[in-house]
Amino acid sequence: MIKLALPTGRLRTRVGNLLQRAGLPVQGYGEGSRTYRPSLDERRAGLPAELAGSPESVGPVRLRVFRERDIPVQIALGNYDLGICSLAWVEELVCRYPSEALVPLRDLGVGKARLFVAAAPGSGGLRAWAGRWGVRIVSEYPHLAEALAMSLRLPAYRVLPVRGAAEAYPPEDADLAVLTAAGESGVRALGLEPLHCLLESSAWLVASRQSLAGKDLSPVLGPLLGLDGPRRVASELALPRALPGDGSTERAGPIPRRRVAEGGTTSPATGSSAARKTVRLALPDGHQQPHAAACLAAAGLRFTGYDEKQAVRRPRSELEGLEAKVIRPQDMPQQVALGNFDLALTGRDWLLDHLYRFPDSPVQEVVDMGTARYQVLAVVSEDLPADTLSEAIAHWRGSGRSVIRVASEYPGVADHFARTRHLGRYRLIPISGASEGFVPEDADLLVEGSETGKTLAANRLKPLERLFESTTCVIAGRGAPPAARAALVERLVDKFREGRPLPSQARRPQAKGGAAPARTVV
Amino acid sequence: MTGADEPLRCRGMRDLLSEEMARFRHVEGVFAEVCRDWGYSEVRTPTIEYLHLFTAAGTLSPQMLGRVYSFLDWDGWSGERVVLRPDATIPTARLYVERFPPGEVARLFYIQNVFRFSSGDDSREDWQCGVELIGDTQPRGDVELVLLGRAVLQALGLGDVELRLSHAGLVRSVLARTGLPPEEQVSLYDRLLDGDLSVVGQLEGRLPDLGAALHLLFGVEGEGSGYLSNLRRAFLPAVPEMEPALDELGVIVETVSGLGHRYRVQAALARSFEYYTGPVFHFWVDGQPVGSGGRYDGLIALVGGASVPASGFALDVGRLAARLPATALASDSAGTLVTVMPASNTPGALAASYEAAREMRARGYRARVALGPTPESEGWLLGVEETEEGCRYVLREGASGRRSAGATLDEALAVLEPKRARGRRTGGGP
Repeated sequence: MIKLALPTGRLRTRVGNLLQRAGLPVQGYGEGSRTYRPSLDERRAGLPAELAGSPESVGPVRLRVFRERDIPVQIALGNYDLGICSLAWVEELVCRYPSEALVPLRDLGVGKARLFVAAAPGSGGLRAWAGRWGVRIVSEYPHLAEALAMSLRLPAYRVLPVRGAAEAYPPEDADLAVLTAAGESGVRALGLEPLHCLLESSAWLVASRQSLAGKDLSPVLGPLLGLDGPRRVASELALPRALPGDGSTERAGPIPRRRVAEGGTTSPATGSSAARKTVRLALPDGHQQPHAAACLAAAGLRFTGYDEKQAVRRPRSELEGLEAKVIRPQDMPQQVALGNFDLALTGRDWLLDHLYRFPDSPVQEVVDMGTARYQVLAVVSEDLPADTLSEAIAHWRGSGRSVIRVASEYPGVADHFARTRHLGRYRLIPISGASEGFVPEDADLLVEGSETGKTLAANRLKPLERLFESTTCVIAGRGAPPAARAALVERLVDKFREGRPLPSQARRPQAKGGAAPARTVV
Repeated sequence: MTGADEPLRCRGMRDLLSEEMARFRHVEGVFAEVCRDWGYSEVRTPTIEYLHLFTAAGTLSPQMLGRVYSFLDWDGWSGERVVLRPDATIPTARLYVERFPPGEVARLFYIQNVFRFSSGDDSREDWQCGVELIGDTQPRGDVELVLLGRAVLQALGLGDVELRLSHAGLVRSVLARTGLPPEEQVSLYDRLLDGDLSVVGQLEGRLPDLGAALHLLFGVEGEGSGYLSNLRRAFLPAVPEMEPALDELGVIVETVSGLGHRYRVQAALARSFEYYTGPVFHFWVDGQPVGSGGRYDGLIALVGGASVPASGFALDVGRLAARLPATALASDSAGTLVTVMPASNTPGALAASYEAAREMRARGYRARVALGPTPESEGWLLGVEETEEGCRYVLREGASGRRSAGATLDEALAVLEPKRARGRRTGGGP
């Protein structure tokens, strides 16, 4: 069997078209499809007779849809023979974990983008940051950001890994961003100034070296390698050279760590945020957006540029002294802990995931808004002959599985669960989405959110244990905010408390106009 | 092995069994004793340090930085990363900055492990015996450390010790002469530190008038003060900035040569460590490197202190332990071990046996109580019998049949060899 990993997200349609062009049409992989296990349309594929498999594609070619960033990991692990993903995600893996397990085979010529180092306009070129103390680099590509910092020989940098919206952070909440854009004008359209191009990226066909060496992949390789298009070698990561810093001229003393919850981080670009007068509120984009918009409306808070359907990065508030910024809900606990925001609307799942990783983090839930309610569960395959976790562990051990594979979008929660529930030797697989497709082939147990259980059942999964219930909540720093902001923070918290829906209303998201539900409904 | 598919021990990590530990302890003990004799005192730094101590230019080379074990600690929500100590000198410099008055002379030594990723099964945890002399003055500090390192190796009984000497200023002055921007010079220096000798070809292209001289610097190992004279002649007309480095190196060469020590001079010895600014030296035993050190005058300021000169060296405990001569451990003889055999499992018999063992230890013998009905090994056995008058002690050796008995422990022990010596080389390590 040949195992091919396909990307979800922005590349989905283009890769689907490309596969069609290559004579490998895929059912269930088009625009809007939510299937994680599509199949080759073998009637039209023109595959050799020996490869014509069953309609469920459990035959000779098995397809699986992943988030792009998970594909290089799956191939490096040897779980998949071939995959299609951006070169940037391949570099993100191998720059931290150099490995010969991954072989980029060819540029497929779609999804072209460049990976830039960028900063807020007017903050100077890249040389202006070399040798400076405490530079904060935000990125969806934390390993590449780390490589950049080491290459520049920054003396005390911080890498802030985020799930997205890196462009929203500079200059207030980060100094540099490592992000992808179509070109320099694309970076400027995001409100930043490109300082350096790290990589020319596009969708690549990548392969497992082990599979290439010992397995006949030609039925899939042939059509994909035969496509018209560029024939170039994978571009090298272009890390900038270091400037020799003396390590002391820019140093402003020890980096404030404990103080951040009270006043915010110190940035070489913008100075201490302890003196900030305005109250900053983080609002979520994505699936949480309609719920957050409903919470704001219930609390009597209105923002220009933020409602159920649309959002700009910096919505404007009618309240004097209140600033808002739209970022990923997953990233909010860290941002509040750092003191960059006074309040944030996020899910309890993300707060707990953060606190399980960093028990000392000064962030807490202050208001349970009661919406976007779902259960975070330990989930296994429906076929597993076990109804309890103990039975499942006994089964895995009895069947010779020495390492239990635990996959989750909540690595902190999943790690805590595996430790405290005595899974023994386990391997945590942090994933970035498309999670229901992992069990049973690529993981034994999944820690996952579920509202109704329908998607679990549709993917032949069953819950073993309930970990906790998640709802939308308002989070804040543990310490009292500075006096200049305390009154407005208190007023906002009161408004959110008053705006909480009645329990009966809280059961359903208040999305309007067919907007996306609060979260993938499972 | 457990029979499982994968070993339970992490890759690159080692277990040390008793015989290896005895060698380790011997190295540590001799090292600590020699250091104390020279007026140095022991310190220990934490296993975990902040990553930022090691990332600034002038600390570790990029290749070394790429091998550190870094992670977010439990309280790492701010993004502050920590590392398992990849080097012991930088943490000691940090300790000096935080715990010593600025400029005070500190003669410190340590025995601790460092963690660096290695591919395959190569060791990822190494133990170092290190010395840092902070606040010293050139050239006495450099000479002292070279001689202290040799003294340790001699005390360990290691015969064929070779000293390799260099000076960080030799390469840096040549790089400065290229006129390349500072960042390019750092990059070339790092590549040289990481063993990339293709840099020499690039330098030849940039400095055509130095071509042959560069071969003298990078391609020839010097074996006497004549080599330094040759370098002077070849380089100083074109690279006068090299003169202080040659002068400093000359003092060490003349001093160790005058003391009859064998040495070589090489251009680029400071592998993986950017922090060296002056003389650098390596110790080799039986054709293998066992330790290295040098002057790092910029490091104390880099980690936040005043500008204080400093130098140090570290010896690789594992490599030294593996090369110890067979006779080396004889002086560590722990004395006779006696196994006390309780007459029964009654509370009285057990109490009498443990009391006899305690008294023997107090007299300087090693003693243990047998856990089963038969002794765990041959050797001296002490039977403790309860009689109406008290206890009776019977000592016998299984192999020879020698035997003595008495109503007191001292009477029974009269047949034993002298007690073990206490207080000499009983370990300076963990």
